[in-house]
Amino acid sequence: MKFISHVLTQTGRNLQKTWPTQFMTLLTVSLSVLIFAFFFLIYTNVMKASEKLGDNLRLTIYLEDEPVPEMQEQLKKKINDFNPVEKVLFVSRAEAFQRLAEQLGDDRDILTDMNPAFLPPSIEVYPEKDLNSLARIKVFSDYLATLPGATKVQYGHGWVERFHYFTKLIQLIVVLSGVLLILTSTFMVAYTIRLAVINRQAELEILRLLGATNSYIQMPFVIEGLLQGLLGSALGILSLHLLYRWIAKLFSGPTFLNLFEFTFFAPTTIGLIVAAGILLCTVGSLSAMRKFLRI
Amino acid sequence: MNKTMVDLVKATKIYPPDVAALEDFSLTVDKGEMVFLTGMSGAGKSTVLKLISGIEPPTKGLVEVAGKDLTKMKAKEIPAFRQQIGMAHQDFKLLPDRTVAQNIGMAMEVSYENFRAIRNRVNELLQMLKLEHKHDTQTEKLSRGEQQRVAIARAVANYPVLILADEPTGNLDPVTTELVMKLFKQYNDAGSTIIIATHDEHIFQNTTHRVLELANGRLIATRPTLQP
Repeated sequence: MKFISHVLTQTGRNLQKTWPTQFMTLLTVSLSVLIFAFFFLIYTNVMKASEKLGDNLRLTIYLEDEPVPEMQEQLKKKINDFNPVEKVLFVSRAEAFQRLAEQLGDDRDILTDMNPAFLPPSIEVYPEKDLNSLARIKVFSDYLATLPGATKVQYGHGWVERFHYFTKLIQLIVVLSGVLLILTSTFMVAYTIRLAVINRQAELEILRLLGATNSYIQMPFVIEGLLQGLLGSALGILSLHLLYRWIAKLFSGPTFLNLFEFTFFAPTTIGLIVAAGILLCTVGSLSAMRKFLRI
Repeated sequence: MNKTMVDLVKATKIYPPDVAALEDFSLTVDKGEMVFLTGMSGAGKSTVLKLISGIEPPTKGLVEVAGKDLTKMKAKEIPAFRQQIGMAHQDFKLLPDRTVAQNIGMAMEVSYENFRAIRNRVNELLQMLKLEHKHDTQTEKLSRGEQQRVAIARAVANYPVLILADEPTGNLDPVTTELVMKLFKQYNDAGSTIIIATHDEHIFQNTTHRVLELANGRLIATRPTLQP
């Protein structure tokens, strides 16, 4: 207990003396956490949206002719053998016509003189939820195109592809901002501690002569790093939350943002980001001490 | 029980490139004894104190303090050893931007003494050395004499078993010198071993304690203890 109170007093004195540098480091750490958390928030929401995309994914195989019941069973088996699916639905020409008429609603009159058999029969394939990677969807779609009687396979290819690349881009930005976070937190804290050690060389020398233990000398620096991590990441997350609330308020109402259910981090994720910030800054502080604080 | 506090046997200290500060110097100081080391500047008085406090290792010879061979002491044992020694350095080694109270308190803080005890002890020492009005003054704003008294207060703050004082009266007027010597006598009477390096003859001319004279890093004379 006495050790803790003495070390905390010593830390308080150090912070009081070096607050301008400490404040700048705190801002840098906060900004890095804010940048990383911002892109990570977008990424997690995009991933959630992509899961939903998987939920609603449907591949439609257009056929030349309506398959007879035995043929339907064979096709179903072939599809399931290649990739197990949730549901396979056969749509006859008549059912397709009926659906179109329902979609047209009050304008269905335009179909009056049309031949009910003008639409092609099709098979609607509803894959299982785990089919959410673009590469696997493509392979599956290519296979479906080779089924007997298949003329074309549709699954909103262009849109899915664009979404996939967007996800990849966000993923890359998250990784880069993560690297930025690691570099800034570790190096800035290490630099600040280094400066503090250099500025306090005389004091450390006197402390050693008076019989200060290694932990008495080192602990305040470790606590400084830890505090930088804790306050910096908390401030970064708080700023992001305020930004999130501001954007949510700004775009409340019928806007494109409401197409997605955009949510903030879960408490566990916040805890993990703060813990990572603390860890990085403490590591920075320890590495600076190992290099510059010879005891 | 070992009654020896300090034992230097043929201690030699050579500073690079080849400056012999101390040569084959032997000294035994008993627990509770007060000893004066005297001699001209460069005689080796400060080097003796540095060897005893473990600040410098000897180039040759043995240095034992409280039964411990300092040359064989492990790094992790050094802090506890230094906490038992109070040293008033010739250049004071004070932190100029800290207050008088903070500078004195440092010696006790490193031993994790409780803050109230530190406060009381600091006030007591400031009163003894007539510095109570300087409690919150930064040491850079003090005169040399006042700084010297702060350094002495810090040296005795932690009730050390061994007090080493390097020219403790070098910047003091006769009245303050008497005050400081009274303080040392008080600690000596209470059982502390005290070694004072000085070239100020006034403080030991009528002493009953041992006076060792050094010249060119060697012991040249020992004045026997006068009988009171």
